[in-house]
Amino acid sequence: MAQTRRGFLRNTGIGLLTFYVSGCDVEMTPQEARERKIAYGVLTSTEVSTLDALGEILLPGSAEAGLSHFIDHQLGAAPGEQLLMIRYLGVPAPFAPFYQGGLAALNAYSMAHASRPFAELDHAIRTELVEQLTQGNPDGWQGPPGPFFYFVLRSDAVDVVYGTKEGVESLGIPYMAHIEPPSRWGE
Amino acid sequence: MTVPDEKVDAIVVGSGAAGSAMAAKLAVGGKKVVILEAGPARGNEDLVSSAIWARRLKWGGDPVIEEGDNPVGNVFNAGYGVGGGAMHHYAVWPRLHEEDFQSRTLYDEGADWPISYDDIRSCYDDVQEECGIAGDADREIWRPPGAPYPMPGVPLFTQGEVLARGFEKQGMSTAPLPLAVTSIPYKGRPPCIWDGWCDAGCPIGALANPLTIHLPVALRAGAILATRSVVTRVLTNQSGAYVTGVEYATGTGEKKELMADLVVLAAFAIQNPRLLLASASDRHPNGVANSSGAVGQYIMAHPAALIYGLFEEQTQCWMGAFGGQLVNQDSYAKDTHAGAGAFGSYQWMIANAVKPNDLLGISTTRPDLFGDDLHEFMKHSAQHFASMTGVVEDLPVAANAVTLSDQLDANGTPLAKVTHTTHAKSKALWQVALEEGKAIFEAAGATEVWTGPQAAMHIMGGTVMGDEPQSSVTNSYGQCHDVANLVIAGPGLFPTSAGVNPTYTIHALTARAGDYLLQNWHSIIP
Repeated sequence: MAQTRRGFLRNTGIGLLTFYVSGCDVEMTPQEARERKIAYGVLTSTEVSTLDALGEILLPGSAEAGLSHFIDHQLGAAPGEQLLMIRYLGVPAPFAPFYQGGLAALNAYSMAHASRPFAELDHAIRTELVEQLTQGNPDGWQGPPGPFFYFVLRSDAVDVVYGTKEGVESLGIPYMAHIEPPSRWGE
Repeated sequence: MTVPDEKVDAIVVGSGAAGSAMAAKLAVGGKKVVILEAGPARGNEDLVSSAIWARRLKWGGDPVIEEGDNPVGNVFNAGYGVGGGAMHHYAVWPRLHEEDFQSRTLYDEGADWPISYDDIRSCYDDVQEECGIAGDADREIWRPPGAPYPMPGVPLFTQGEVLARGFEKQGMSTAPLPLAVTSIPYKGRPPCIWDGWCDAGCPIGALANPLTIHLPVALRAGAILATRSVVTRVLTNQSGAYVTGVEYATGTGEKKELMADLVVLAAFAIQNPRLLLASASDRHPNGVANSSGAVGQYIMAHPAALIYGLFEEQTQCWMGAFGGQLVNQDSYAKDTHAGAGAFGSYQWMIANAVKPNDLLGISTTRPDLFGDDLHEFMKHSAQHFASMTGVVEDLPVAANAVTLSDQLDANGTPLAKVTHTTHAKSKALWQVALEEGKAIFEAAGATEVWTGPQAAMHIMGGTVMGDEPQSSVTNSYGQCHDVANLVIAGPGLFPTSAGVNPTYTIHALTARAGDYLLQNWHSIIP
């Protein structure tokens, strides 16, 4: 996935990401990437399914908006160019171990307590588990601090749902851009 | 731009508020200036209106290791690339008060500055004329003496009106927040449209950032700006009495040297002391300009007091400037809250414009909510939310310091490690502010009031100025006590943090220092 730094910044800022498809670079939104089942560069299929399942509990609609492609693409960028909110939350780059460690912990906890991966749990049980994460590390939790992991992933979900022009305007807030993003996430 | 091979008059390390202002001053004064900026190039076209996009304006250079109970939040507070942190600053430009300069003498707390308010008053006046500040000096009853603002105060939107009601009911005053943002056309700059995108960088020239004000002046006067140029060492002569230039790494990792008569370090409060400490040699075994041992010490960060509320009215909380619409400094007297174990000053920045996402966005104020509850909260809050932020003084503590880590960056330079734990009296003052803030919101008629956690806002200290070479790094002009032609610029010079935003004072100090350097050039330069 070769591209210039300026191109990377320009595209991620407006919601477009560059994906390598059939030998060429193609620009599309995270949601388009999701719909076209574009391959992931950093996250495994298990991590993606866990992430999407978590996103739907944190903020319904975030998986459909392309949460996993957004995070995957950003994790593949150079540390100084990543646009995930975690970059200013005191976690040293690279950030992939944080995400992957948290998702693995979530699955391990699910397996230990419900004998199924997190993505296969009932909605109510997933919600209960997330509720536990807001309070502290669940017993036997082996990942990054649970409440912090929750906070970071929740922020990412809010980014893809409410951080775009479409998302802002869905709240009745006029976007009023000086330099307007020419494309939205979640189109 | 190409960095020359030959010796220049001055090297300025960093292109933020202090670096760009100093470069402009020296270049207009006839000096050949090279600005070495560690980060990438930036132009107004890069300042896309997006809270996600805005993150690339935050620190993206070498990692900073943060320790202590109250980390300073380097990535969020520092900047990266041309314009530095000033590209994402909110342009809240109040003056320090007279008593801020004499905290030790008057209250036996904190430290004295080596200057008084009178020494810097004319600089404040000159800077506000040059950069433009919107405000109402008459209504700002706490304001120390000075010329009236050159632009009328910023407009009041519904959120400001709602919160002003609370202050009035509590017997407190409000005035337009002094903002270095155009409320009217000013020196060819258009007026702000009050869209709340300050944090993403203002591309229209309404906000006084380096791309709008000082970098164009510096470049027109012949200054050379080199990006992706990371200074790795300050070089000194054989005796160590003078600096001779700097070593820097280019974007390809190639190490180069550039010689100069004067070196100005304007790389912010953490990277400046890191560079001084990392430049240790036989002549300066504890780091350059560090015979006092004070390099790195007294790092400060304002604890932000975050007050949130919901109101029955539609607040238009997205309108205005990120910094706010109104100011209150009724609690500026430093010894008012001694009974609560507190000391220091604070001010309120009232009615901050907000966006839905990001660290200061609506969603983050209620991190406990998720799922459908979060959607519901977002939809309601977008129309009924209000907030204000207290800037609380952080007392200087020697142990709050920048030191060198054992870890090295790609250039072989030790990373900076920053330890910061808020002084108990400052923490108590933050608590006082929270209680006051909640009472104001309740008086304003909020249907719900809540507060945020202690957050670090603005980083200061680390290379403090003072009269005594035994206990400070520089004199009042930022000139290092140990090395006459090495100058520090920026908030690292502050001996105390005061209870107001630092950028206006950074500019005033830089203007004063620049004039001094030009007037005394031949006695300073070896």
